[in-house]
Amino acid sequence: MITLNRSQVIGAEFPDEDTVRFNGIQDDHIYSMEINMDVRIADGEILAIEGIMKRYTNFVCPEAIPVLQTAVGVSLREDGWERRIMKEIGRKGCEHFAEIIIECGHCFDQARLSKALWEALEKDPGIDQEQFIQTWIDEHPENQLA
Amino acid sequence: MTIRFLRNKVVEVEPQPDGSLAVSWRLTDDLLKVEVNLKVQPPDLEIVATEAKLERLVPKAWQSAPELIKKVEGVRIGAGLRKIVQGFLGGEKGCPVLAHAALESSNAVILNFTRPGVQMLEGLKDDEKLSLTREMLKSNPRLIRSCVAFQDDSPIMQGLDF
Repeated sequence: MITLNRSQVIGAEFPDEDTVRFNGIQDDHIYSMEINMDVRIADGEILAIEGIMKRYTNFVCPEAIPVLQTAVGVSLREDGWERRIMKEIGRKGCEHFAEIIIECGHCFDQARLSKALWEALEKDPGIDQEQFIQTWIDEHPENQLA
Repeated sequence: MTIRFLRNKVVEVEPQPDGSLAVSWRLTDDLLKVEVNLKVQPPDLEIVATEAKLERLVPKAWQSAPELIKKVEGVRIGAGLRKIVQGFLGGEKGCPVLAHAALESSNAVILNFTRPGVQMLEGLKDDEKLSLTREMLKSNPRLIRSCVAFQDDSPIMQGLDF
């Protein structure tokens, strides 16, 4: 039988031209947590964040919720942003919150690319999708896909 | 408002009759479909077998992933793993999705061994839980200051001298 299962679901919406809004859920046999965060597209800065702790292991864990606010101002473009999130949010707060934030960060460029491809397909359903992906990657050197 | 991008990931650990652990890591989103399988051998937690399959809209730079993942065969899940995996699977010629898969699979193996201890605390009185948690910290000092619950000012740490 499966003795440990962890699932993550990350959704991205674009409430305006400048912002991507992530909802991230992480659920496993031990922990269950959720993060909502807004990121500025231009520079990857985390603008707002909130967390919900649904299943955890001890009575101190919820004290990690206010620690999340130290993520505001961190840019998903800065060198070592994952290490910074793990140090500031993970070690001083909750590692599992940090894991969700980091996964949202991993989806940042994928979400932008997915939106761009959708819009391109609306204009021309017959475009070469593989070529579009490669061109988008080449034209967006800030991306962390390749 | 509709979601413009949705990623689903799952990692599963399944003990095998030969004592090894089969770890299945899968990702599906609007652009990618990835499956990474690792076989991990206790007690050293050595990664003894690997396979990876990437489908859908895979960037050209990642198309060597099935060969690349073989580099972590022989690596042990333990101290320094992050640097080792980044060295093998990260960087300009690497594939970040594979590096994430290897690290998250390794983390799932650790959580798999953590689960029985957490379940053991259930049903105990609060003072018994606190006492057992403090004993656990003494035997696992790497947990000290690893999160808010184990910082010096946490009530759990009161009376402990680390």
